[in-house]
Amino acid sequence: MADMKALQQERIQLFKDLYDNKLPKRVPINLVLSVEFAIQYAGMDLAQAQWDTSMLEIAFDKMCGDFITDTNPAMAFRYPSYYKILGARNFVMSSSGFLQHPEVHGFETEDYDYFIQSPYDCIMERVLPRIYTELDTNPVQRSIVFAKAFKAFFDDVVNGNIIIAKLTEKYGFSPIGGFDGFCEAPFDFMSDQLRGFKNIVGDIRRIPDKVVGACEAALPLMIKTGMPPHPPSPYGATFIPLHMAPFLREKDFEKYYWPTFKKLVDDLAASGQSAYLFVEHDWTRFLDYLYELPENTRMMFEYGDPKLIKDKLGKKHILTGFYPITLLKTATKQQCIDKAKELIDILAPGGKYMFTFDKNIITADSVNIENLQAVLEYVSENANY
Amino acid sequence: MNNLGELKDLIIKYVEQLDEDKVVSLATEALDAGLEPLELLGVVNEGMSRVGKLYENKNYYIADLIVAGLIFRQVLSLDKMRAHFYQDHKRPLGKVVLGTVQGDIHDIGKDIFKGMLEANGFEVTDLGVDIPKEVFVENVQRVKPHIVGLSGPLTNTIETMKEIVEAFVKAELRDQVKIIIGANHMTTDICRYIGADSFANDATIGTKVCLEWMESINKQGEINDEKSGIH
Repeated sequence: MADMKALQQERIQLFKDLYDNKLPKRVPINLVLSVEFAIQYAGMDLAQAQWDTSMLEIAFDKMCGDFITDTNPAMAFRYPSYYKILGARNFVMSSSGFLQHPEVHGFETEDYDYFIQSPYDCIMERVLPRIYTELDTNPVQRSIVFAKAFKAFFDDVVNGNIIIAKLTEKYGFSPIGGFDGFCEAPFDFMSDQLRGFKNIVGDIRRIPDKVVGACEAALPLMIKTGMPPHPPSPYGATFIPLHMAPFLREKDFEKYYWPTFKKLVDDLAASGQSAYLFVEHDWTRFLDYLYELPENTRMMFEYGDPKLIKDKLGKKHILTGFYPITLLKTATKQQCIDKAKELIDILAPGGKYMFTFDKNIITADSVNIENLQAVLEYVSENANY
Repeated sequence: MNNLGELKDLIIKYVEQLDEDKVVSLATEALDAGLEPLELLGVVNEGMSRVGKLYENKNYYIADLIVAGLIFRQVLSLDKMRAHFYQDHKRPLGKVVLGTVQGDIHDIGKDIFKGMLEANGFEVTDLGVDIPKEVFVENVQRVKPHIVGLSGPLTNTIETMKEIVEAFVKAELRDQVKIIIGANHMTTDICRYIGADSFANDATIGTKVCLEWMESINKQGEINDEKSGIH
């Protein structure tokens, strides 16, 4: 136990150094494996264990013991219970038991004016009953459904978090290095959760001013959502998965996406909370914009040239990602290790780099487990400063 | 009123600029002035291909392609266009059976691909999302397509796609269809692993591949609907 405490302190120091602009002892590893991965890896039934969250402790424990990482790899983010109670159309399970976000919308063109005037009321009164079918009823029944869903939400999330916290102590993981909040860029929130991908791109041609107004109206909601429920710390971060920018031309990005996104990250930083961005798809066109974000913004890149991105952003921001998880599926063990070495050689010099993959590993069969373990072992033993 | 030649040029220009209102009103005007629906389709297609070039040159992005698709559908839904094309039973350029594979319910990429294939004259049988291998096999037996498109943005669908290709082999259908897989994470190695004929990271590339396939099939002679003759 004392050994684990010492190990945990060592790992915490890696991340503190990373965030304090010092060279850590070695490159920290911030592996994230999904709840679906954990369940499948433990040989459990995906649908059953997501419902009966008491099964998760065994699944997470096995995963925490078998993969080398400095932060707890278990990510339990969404559970089906409350989505089912709500009759959700925006998060549904596929036949394999995998909870996903289909392209739906609960916000019509005629809702823009009300949303701009009063975003929260518009979401509560109009959008939620369209997305969550069980809320589309009389006010009394709606309140009951809402209360039940929140009870289920807190039961499952709190249970998951207790398990994760316990395993963090058991395996000596660093509690810092990941994130402790979540929100979206206002334009992404409008696109993903309200209007849908296909509708929003029509809107920016048909009613451009309303889209701008809606993003501005969504901004305060996103800032509020993104603040953690405890005082911010320089070692915490709010996770913001970035979605729509690579699908937009630069002129549209500049007008619709960037202003409120930048303000969101700036305002969080001004309150003492950093952002952990999942820079989804290819943002090569927008690197100069990303540079402008507050120092030490964490950026997990999916695609793009690591060398170019290190040169442009690596002295100001903290980089991670890039390693293609598809390689873990198709390549040999040596090829996988070589790729890790190649990326570390580019990204580690000067610090401000932690190791993780280009996307979260969502199921056990999407990678070759031995390759994954070999890469983690290689990084943990060889990426020393 | 503009003359037809001017109208056609303007329609091409406004499709290229993605100005939906102007395209629709000018298209209506052109039809009223006696432009044949088939000719209007050609004009809009010229605008679409300019949009495609702007996309290839990275002046336009996916959002712009979606808007171009919206405009294309608007024009097709004009009364005179509907009246003409619904009666027309032209033989399609080729047949495609398309679906998002089991375990995955994403449909945006698949729908964009479908729209592009249809705009290029393909007849697409869209099986929907979360489709098991048995349904793919049944539909290929029934529709006898030239091409099968497997979509699956989630990385865990690699294994599922492999199983679907194997199911085609087992059902002795594999050498009768070309198989293209689509998702952001696809690479040559994954394509080989799955056993598909080609892959696409975006719908425009996928459409190009399908057009090239149909060209090489057509070079072999008339397409036989009973048996595609693709090898």
